[in-house]
Amino acid sequence: MSRPDFRSQTLQLIFALLIGLGLGLVYSWYFAPVNYENVNPAILRVDFKDQYRVVIAASYASTQNLDRARVRLELLGDVDPVGELSAQAQRMLATGESFEKARPLAQLATDLNQGFASVPVVPTSFTTFNTPEIVSTVAVTETQTEELVTDEETQTPFPTIVFEQTPITPVAAETNTPRPTFTPLPGPGAPFALVGQDTICTPGSPLGLLQFMLMDARRKQVAGIEITITWSQGEDRFFTGFKPELGNGYADFVMQADTIYSARVVDGGAFVPDISAPTCTDPNGIEYLGGLLLTFQRP
Amino acid sequence: MPSDGYNLTMTSSNLIKIAIAVFIGIALGLIYGLVIDPIEYTDAPPNALREDYRADYVLMVAEAYQSEIDADTAARRLAVLGSESPALITASTLEYANRTGFTQNEIQALQNLLTAMQTYQPQGINNP
Repeated sequence: MSRPDFRSQTLQLIFALLIGLGLGLVYSWYFAPVNYENVNPAILRVDFKDQYRVVIAASYASTQNLDRARVRLELLGDVDPVGELSAQAQRMLATGESFEKARPLAQLATDLNQGFASVPVVPTSFTTFNTPEIVSTVAVTETQTEELVTDEETQTPFPTIVFEQTPITPVAAETNTPRPTFTPLPGPGAPFALVGQDTICTPGSPLGLLQFMLMDARRKQVAGIEITITWSQGEDRFFTGFKPELGNGYADFVMQADTIYSARVVDGGAFVPDISAPTCTDPNGIEYLGGLLLTFQRP
Repeated sequence: MPSDGYNLTMTSSNLIKIAIAVFIGIALGLIYGLVIDPIEYTDAPPNALREDYRADYVLMVAEAYQSEIDADTAARRLAVLGSESPALITASTLEYANRTGFTQNEIQALQNLLTAMQTYQPQGINNP
């Protein structure tokens, strides 16, 4: 008699416990879950995070405020913000977006990597909207402030430097950054020439990696150069500078075994035919697919 | 009769035990659901952003607009913040900016964006 009662009691207790557990879970997961308001950007959906990065990069392209852009990127909680920027820029290109749309992301990634703004800071003058352009009769003096642009007739005859018929604006005159501006595309008449073709046999590195390094005449790496790879069954296009951690002038492409490729630097650059992945041998005598490094430079 | 009394006593005792078990179960469920394995939101929409993050997003759009001067792009960027009109979103952000001490340049950027959004007509609406 007592055995069935005991069993029955135990079962009842277990059943009651499970009911209670279920009620607790229902309450905590459905009736009073974590508040879904006032969220931070780190938990945004992936596509909205992408949009957030685009806006951060666009804002940075306008203000050149690198510190602020860095802080804003940190809000997204990415482990590698620079890598995410580069990856997103490449994804945009891969999905057919124009280079101009992807460029701010790549530019921000590059600048974060190097630690300073590539483009000289030109303060945005909020009073310039609908402001007539400075005509040739305008006199610009050293003592002018941002909005002090007047005609010669009203200008007091200070014995200061006077620029006649010059397009220099006060803002431009105040810019003291001597660094060359970022030029993503090469100017006409400055084609790249192949100056080096090295076989890379490094065990453990990606197999068949075709690497490009593009530099200007002063051996400074150049970002934003389009490269076209063609082979018998297809074609691929990409740009330098989308992996800033490897260099602003760096780009790469993975070759398949037994395939002949041709590489061309767009806009009058060099054409390199008959490229194929070399065969390397490791210390144990095992053969593997090696890589190539093509170095281009403007004369 | 004695057997009825015994059964009645056991029933009360059982009820108490069951009630205690239910409460323990609820407590365990709450601990598990709220502490051990709470719901983690990872796919939040931008309209759930906290007000300061939302304001900063609008400010970024305004800063970008300063150089791009592209009302269509700015409106599309603002549209992710909800169903309100871009002008209304910008206006509320401008109010927030004035209230919380944004710099003069930032307020001016927002003002310029607001002006653009107030006169902005999506493509197709003004074209019969």
